[in-house]
Amino acid sequence: MDAGAPIAASEVRFRSLFENTPELVLYQNPAGIILDANPAFLAVVEKSKEQVIGKPYSDFLPLRAQPIFTQKLREAIAGKTVRFEVFASQGQSAPRHWDVVKIPLRQEGEVVGVHMVARDITEKTQHQEEIFVQNQNLQQFAYIVSHNLRAPLANAVGLVELLSTEEQGSPFFEETRQYLQQNLQQLDLVLRDMNTILTIRDQQHLAVPESVPLQEIISQVLQDLADVLDQCGGTTQIEIDQHMRVQANRAYLYSIFFNLLTNAIKYRSDQRPLHIAIAAIRDGGGRQVVTITDNGVGFDQEQAGADIFKLYKRFHTKLSGRGVGLYLVKTHVENMGGQIEVHSQLGEGTRFTLTLR
Amino acid sequence: MQTILIDDDPTGVFLVKRLFQRAGLPDCLTTFLLPAEALAFLQQAPTEALPEVILLDLNMPLLSGWDVLEALKPQQEELKQRCSIYILTSSLAPADVARAKDNPLVVALLHKPLDYQKIQDIQARLRQ
Repeated sequence: MDAGAPIAASEVRFRSLFENTPELVLYQNPAGIILDANPAFLAVVEKSKEQVIGKPYSDFLPLRAQPIFTQKLREAIAGKTVRFEVFASQGQSAPRHWDVVKIPLRQEGEVVGVHMVARDITEKTQHQEEIFVQNQNLQQFAYIVSHNLRAPLANAVGLVELLSTEEQGSPFFEETRQYLQQNLQQLDLVLRDMNTILTIRDQQHLAVPESVPLQEIISQVLQDLADVLDQCGGTTQIEIDQHMRVQANRAYLYSIFFNLLTNAIKYRSDQRPLHIAIAAIRDGGGRQVVTITDNGVGFDQEQAGADIFKLYKRFHTKLSGRGVGLYLVKTHVENMGGQIEVHSQLGEGTRFTLTLR
Repeated sequence: MQTILIDDDPTGVFLVKRLFQRAGLPDCLTTFLLPAEALAFLQQAPTEALPEVILLDLNMPLLSGWDVLEALKPQQEELKQRCSIYILTSSLAPADVARAKDNPLVVALLHKPLDYQKIQDIQARLRQ
């Protein structure tokens, strides 16, 4: 039997792997010169085989990534198989995350060259980063919720302690009992809020957008708030084309305007009658830009900064607020692929700008 | 034991007030629901008018307890001579405990609710 036949067969098998694998495969000599490169590598660097062979691999690496490749090549030449992850471009390609293995090739006990196999792990890395951020958000959420449960609960513990020392039926007893009741209701509210938020998060992938007439939703909200608006002598001015439609979830849209208008009423100024103006225009990109402007007490934007939409952050001292409304508004807007911005001036008023599809 | 309490939560204020009454210290407590007002008071008060004890809540809108401490930094030495500042919070976060330990103005962090035992501990510490 011809001893050359099985070697030729295995050569075909390995050649096929080399030619067809999506991983980048290089063979370098100890000086780092490329002696062979597979089509996957050539495709990424957009060069022909002739343009690559005989060149140092570092020609195809960004300056920033060269030291690690040089270092790992040295380790492989010393006889070790090395594996590392790197974020780098190859040639002119966009930078990607690579899982790189360098394997020494020995002949008669001496390392004569190094194989390199680089696998693109960009998507996997991005998913990991997303999960990491999501985990951090959830941890933050759990922390915020636990803090907001703890506040009324600590009060309740203190009040019950106090109650046991007060004479039953005395005014102090009654006052303490009322505070206790308020704090237990607060506790209940926090849990309900949490439930609402979790439900929304749960359903955010189910929110199928439909074409919703904007004016109809706003009219509905104004109708539902008509009594409260009347009581405080508030007026509204709506400038929206009655045919304007937005790609939205009806319930979300209602909740957004209900929350924003309720805020405008709650944080009205006692210096002047409340006036709310709502206007919508279509921007150049075919998106609907809705502004809700009030002449209320406003807030110090510099102080509030990016916190205005955060859960359980409050910016008014004298008025009750749980710090949930604007968090929900932002969540809803973003679930529909929109954006929300706020501009406010203390003592002047507040303007919310929604950009919707 | 002249004390001021800075807490935006009416329940918190009610509870501490009543505890002070029941502990026989009804005239010793001044309360501020607005941290900004408390800060203005502390910044303007002559040394002899400063309280012996300050109970400071952390989680308040606009001006947190940490913000108040930061604003008091310029008069830190004067305050340390005269006042024992306690943080009184419902927060159980270890980060807050660590931050309180690092702040030279803060004697200790107390978890809400305040009770007789904690008032007695504050008094005992003051006598030392």
